[in-house]
Parts: sequence; C-alpha cells; structure tokens
Amino acid sequence: MSTRKSKVKLLKNMPGVVRASIDPFLVRATNNPERIMFILHRVTGVIIVLYLFLHIYVTSNTIDSARWNSLMEQFGASIVNKIGEFIVAGAVIFHGLNGIRLLLVEFFGVGIGKPEHPKPPYIAPSLRAAQRKAIYIVAVLSVVGWIIAGILIFTGYLELPL
Amino acid sequence: MVARSKFQELLAATRQPPKEVTIRVKRYDPETGKVWYQDYKVKTFRGMTILDALLQIKEKIDHTIVMRYSCRMGVCGSCGVVVNKKPSLACQTQIAAVASEDKPIVVVEPLYNFPIIRDLVADFGDFFNKHRAIKPYIIRKDPDEVEKGEREFIMDPHDLHEIYEYSLCIMCGLCYSACPVSAGDPLYLGPQALAQAYRFIADVRDEGYEERIKIVDTEHGCHRCHFAATCSAVCPKMVDPASAIQRLRKIVFMKTLGFWKKKKITQIAGPLKEPLRQIEAKYAVENILEGVDPEEQAKREEKIDLEL
Repeated sequence: MSTRKSKVKLLKNMPGVVRASIDPFLVRATNNPERIMFILHRVTGVIIVLYLFLHIYVTSNTIDSARWNSLMEQFGASIVNKIGEFIVAGAVIFHGLNGIRLLLVEFFGVGIGKPEHPKPPYIAPSLRAAQRKAIYIVAVLSVVGWIIAGILIFTGYLELPL
Repeated sequence: MVARSKFQELLAATRQPPKEVTIRVKRYDPETGKVWYQDYKVKTFRGMTILDALLQIKEKIDHTIVMRYSCRMGVCGSCGVVVNKKPSLACQTQIAAVASEDKPIVVVEPLYNFPIIRDLVADFGDFFNKHRAIKPYIIRKDPDEVEKGEREFIMDPHDLHEIYEYSLCIMCGLCYSACPVSAGDPLYLGPQALAQAYRFIADVRDEGYEERIKIVDTEHGCHRCHFAATCSAVCPKMVDPASAIQRLRKIVFMKTLGFWKKKKITQIAGPLKEPLRQIEAKYAVENILEGVDPEEQAKREEKIDLEL
C-alpha cells in the first residue's frame, strides 16, 4: 500500500485566488450576476488601494507649496490623469454602493429570502430575493454616477482656480 | 455568464440533441503526471446524459477513461464533473442542454478545487474532513438523550421548514468546485460544510451551537465567504448554501455583539398521555372485482411465456 501511495501523485486543480477574482469565465454558471459583482468588487477594490498609495504620495508634496502648484498644473493639463481619475471615480462609486449591499446581506442577512421546500424550476431562494434587485439597482446607480463623474471630470467643472 | 436563464436551460434539455457530439475529456495520468484533452465522438439519443455518453465511451471506445458514478439519478452525488465550465452532475445534465448543432462539442473536466486522482475522479478526502469538522450531528448536553434514544425530540413543521432545504445536501461537491474562495484557500471550510453548520445550529433539537460557532468563527470559516452565490447557482438540490452562510454569519456577528441567543431548544417528547388509537384492520378475503379469493388465486399456476 505504501509503495502505491508514493507512486500516485494528485493533480492540483485549483485556479488560484487571482484567477478566481478576475476571470468571469472561470465558472459559467447561469443566473448568477452575484459572481460578476464579486469580481467587479475585487477589481475596484484593488484600483482603490492603488489609488490610495498614489494619493498619499501626491499629498506628501503639499509641504512645498510651489511644487504643489506646479504638480496641480500638470495634473490639470494631462488627459492621462483625467482618465485615471475617471476610472477611480467609477471604482469608488461602484465599490461603495455594492459595499452597502454586501454589508446588508452578509452581516444582517437582509434580502436573501426565506428557506423553502424545493420546487421546479429549482432556483435557490437567495437568487430570487431582494438582494438580486439590489444588484440591478447598484448597477444602474453606478453607471449613472460614473457618467456624472465623467461629465464633471472631463468638462473641467471640478478644477480649482489656481 | 448570464446569457441563458435557468428556464432556457431546462427548455433546451427537452430538445433532440445533435446526432453526434464530441465529448472532450480532460484526462490526467497520475503515474506520468501527464494532463491532456482527448476527444471522443459519441452517437446520441434523445434524453442522453453526460454520464450516458461517458459510459458509452468507456464501454465502446476507450476503456482507460475513469469516472465515478453510482445511482445515475442525482441522488448519490458521485458523478460531479465540470461540463462546459459549469460544475454539474453528469447524470442530471442532458447532452441537448449543453450541445447544439452549431456547437456539438462538450468539454468535460474534473471538479475544480479538488485534487484529482485520475481523469475525472476527484479526491474528496479533505472535503469530507471539513464536513466532519463542523460536527454534523445533533449534540445534546446530556448525550444519553441521543444515544439511548428512547423517544423522539419534539419538532414542529415550522422548525423543520427552517432547515429542510439545507438538509437535502448530497455532498456532491459542486458548490465547493464553483466557489471562488475555495479556488484560492485550501483551508476554507467551503459552502457545503458551512451550510451544514448552519443547518445544525438552526436545528431546534441541537444544543451544540456554541461549539459549532467556535469552529466556523475563524478566518477560514464563514467570514471568508464573499457572497458570489455561485454555490447556490450550481447546486443540483436547491440547497442554497449562499443564504445559509449569510444566515450563519449573521448569527456569529450578532452573537459576538451579544444580541443572539438560540430562540428555541426542544426537549424529548414525554410519555403518551393515552395509548395510541387502535384500528382493527381487515384484509379483503374476496376479490371484490372478480369475486375470487386472492389466496386461491395466488396458488394457481400461471403460464408465463418467457420467449417473447
């Protein structure tokens, strides 16, 4: 038995946390927008963390006012920065709204339906309950918020007079 | 991912499958460590399942292919495989639902997140150990109540209704295979074990909830879940592990804050106040339809033509 055991190698068949967090086609389950929200939540979370480091670096320049002013001038002129800001705005809006949904669902058990006896077409109660509607609300509000953020960023409405 | 609804999927299963499909099986040879995809052409029939196709391959085309199955009717939970990237029971998945004339290829892989022994056979050792870890049995302060079991515990239909859905689990491992957290954390208890933990914590007959809460209230327990809900989307028995984990997490969260207390714990039923009603049963001696004594009828020799 021991010789047989030493010969047999088990195949590790785990996709890993990174692939599971970014690949929406890893598991193609039907009727599951929750997974898309999970992936978007992770991706936007990473964007926000990266922005946070950048933000700390940029605000560390406030000690020197001349340098700060020149940095802000550069920032206002560069379209790359504006696109970056647009992406961060979208990430923050989505992550915040979806975070509220997740807080309600995960800590207070809101919107996951009630247990029931299985009957055709066998769709789990949590996939039909209020949290599913909350997903659509979050998606719509995020898109609307992102569009408004885009208008504010690209039209220069947010730029402070220097 | 949400291109087809559940209704469309069910409707597709009733259609005629393509006359011939290619079953692309992910294979693994543990002795050489080789992993490859192998194509098999299978002639279909109406109502053919993935398991039928795999058995046909094993019987007629390639005897070396290995899979696990038992009941062939979605009860035992042995034949879990990943069909076209969706964890499914091979015996419950119609070829017509996953293949069409335009795309007559079905990719069959072993379950994700499990170590693979050979071809489509996954090692469930860890999975069952996690199930064991959450103590999936009724715990009483006085163990004799369960062990001697002289009388039943009182449980009304409402109490049963709360946990019935979760008690239908057949431990097929599809939820564990679909879970994005299990994909990265091998120590994570997984949707199956956590759903069963909730099922026993919510059970009115159980008094071991404190022990169980300690087991699940860890970094690899219920707090690791991110509510991707794919477990509930792939569950063949509508067990809904996603909601069970959220309910469990709510209990753990509220208990930590000191707001949760088990509402109801039932006791063993007392002795009967009056004996059960006796009903005298009479067998019909005569065959009412034909007027023949059934016992006499049974004694008669029947000529059965076996050569059909």
